[in-house]
Amino acid sequence: MSRRKPSELPAVLMLLPVLVVIVGPFLWLIVSSLKTEREIGRGDPFSFPAQLMWQNYIDAWNIGNFGSLIGNSLINVLGVVTLTLLVCAPAGYALAKIRFPGREWVFYAFIFGLTIPVQAVIIPLYQLLSNLGMINSLWGVTLAQVSNGIPFGLFLMRSFFMGVPNELTEAAKIDGANHFQILTRVFLPLSQPAISALLIISALSTWNDFFLPLVMLISPGNQTLPLGLVRFASTYNTDFRLVFSGTVITFLPVIILYILTQRRFTEGLTQGALKG
Amino acid sequence: MTRLTTTADGADLRAPASARRRDGSRDGFGAAFVLMLPAIALYGLFSLTPILFTVWISFTNSGGFNTEASFVGLDNYLRAGDDPIVWQSLGRTFLWLGYHVVLAGGLGLVLALAVSRLSRTRVFFRTAFFLPHLVSLAVVGVIWANIYDPFYGLISTALTQIGLGSWNQGWLSDPLLVLFSVNVASSWQGFGLYMLLFIAGLQNIDQSLYEAAEIDGANSWQKLCNVTLPGLRDVMTFVISLAMINGLKGFATVFVMTNGGPFYASEIITTYIYRLAFQAQDHGLAAVLCILMSLLAIVITVAFNRWRARQAA
Repeated sequence: MSRRKPSELPAVLMLLPVLVVIVGPFLWLIVSSLKTEREIGRGDPFSFPAQLMWQNYIDAWNIGNFGSLIGNSLINVLGVVTLTLLVCAPAGYALAKIRFPGREWVFYAFIFGLTIPVQAVIIPLYQLLSNLGMINSLWGVTLAQVSNGIPFGLFLMRSFFMGVPNELTEAAKIDGANHFQILTRVFLPLSQPAISALLIISALSTWNDFFLPLVMLISPGNQTLPLGLVRFASTYNTDFRLVFSGTVITFLPVIILYILTQRRFTEGLTQGALKG
Repeated sequence: MTRLTTTADGADLRAPASARRRDGSRDGFGAAFVLMLPAIALYGLFSLTPILFTVWISFTNSGGFNTEASFVGLDNYLRAGDDPIVWQSLGRTFLWLGYHVVLAGGLGLVLALAVSRLSRTRVFFRTAFFLPHLVSLAVVGVIWANIYDPFYGLISTALTQIGLGSWNQGWLSDPLLVLFSVNVASSWQGFGLYMLLFIAGLQNIDQSLYEAAEIDGANSWQKLCNVTLPGLRDVMTFVISLAMINGLKGFATVFVMTNGGPFYASEIITTYIYRLAFQAQDHGLAAVLCILMSLLAIVITVAFNRWRARQAA
């Protein structure tokens, strides 16, 4: 179409107030986190600090042990993402490309889990991890999170693999490849979009998970970032400069990472959610 | 997936078409079993078994972890029926779901429509509007508890500064307001994903339909009602089901901001389950609520899949 697009200025002007409301909480926290306790107490959210109090961040970091919380969260995310891919890719391949009796039933059994919220099985899950000696262990939480994510991951990988033409499988078979080789040499190199969607979705949900860590991780040294921040914020709930700077420490890294990778991130998230 | 989470719980449950089609391999069971073994083992142990045990626990008088329990028949179900907090938390859960669908789903739709009209500033607005979704709901709870703080919070100080101090409410202490206030925090976090899904849906609408409508002399409002919204029907049902499931799973913001208070005014099913299971150690009653919650999730999922199937037909 050759018709000129109308100027987008009016639309932008209408969206600006919405932007302020949506992003305002972040800006307010960042500005307030650099104020002194006295400046916060003055109760003027629109004022800027006379002097930027970076010391708030140093104090929050040390008192809240954020280094250890971030480390635990990273281990947790790495564990869940790796295991999810290792478990879901082969199973998704089997359900998409191998014919065997009862395949539909196996698929339905997995899909059933997609509907059951984790809170609804928390009592036996806690008891089970307790019997396995995995309460208060990051590994226990990691295994529970992987299992919780299997239905979605498997569904995603399966629907992607189903789109790969059978001719490729046949050709590889004639060359004498077994299923494991077909999966690793033919399917996995082709499935970069599905893998990155699964990676992004499971990494973000694990990094942000609260319920399972809350139930399973008791000692502060083993806790993950959201849980640690909640504990920190309720312990120092009258010390606003600490709560504010601790909160900023928690959300800023992910936001920066997102802005740097936003195109890929958005693509993966949308495709993953729509496929699933 | 809280799973972002939360992701795809409105999944399509129709039978896998390829199961009936002839496809590549016929050998079988052995290879498939080996490839599925890790998934079956983990999922069986940590997901399926706990579902069965939850059903069992609901028929026992279990009074805590690592304790003996005996069969008590339907006792817990009768107790649940007599417990006013069960009924109240159930009602609040439905209200909570409704708020989330309207606030987060509605905002997601409106912003998707607005952002899609932009060209040069589109990526900027899409990125900025999505930022809250990156924050853990627990952290969102901490942030909004401070925003609502009656003395130092963003809302009360901002209102006072611009001379509207009398508009201040007990956002988290007024029993009539608290559930809505907390839901605003959850929806602030949740709408970004719905917006992205709507944007993807808008991109899939055939552009020639708009051109045809223009030739017929349709104005923007008519185009919205007759082309855009019908074109979004699929995504819309998906987003509504996803938002309902996400709402049903909502826990962290309530737990962090009010812990169900004041006087159970913001107690929803998940926070009540947590209280019964880990504080009151009343596992029998908690298990009944767990089953109820699962049934709600199943009903929502199945109903929306039927609806989508009917739309497709």
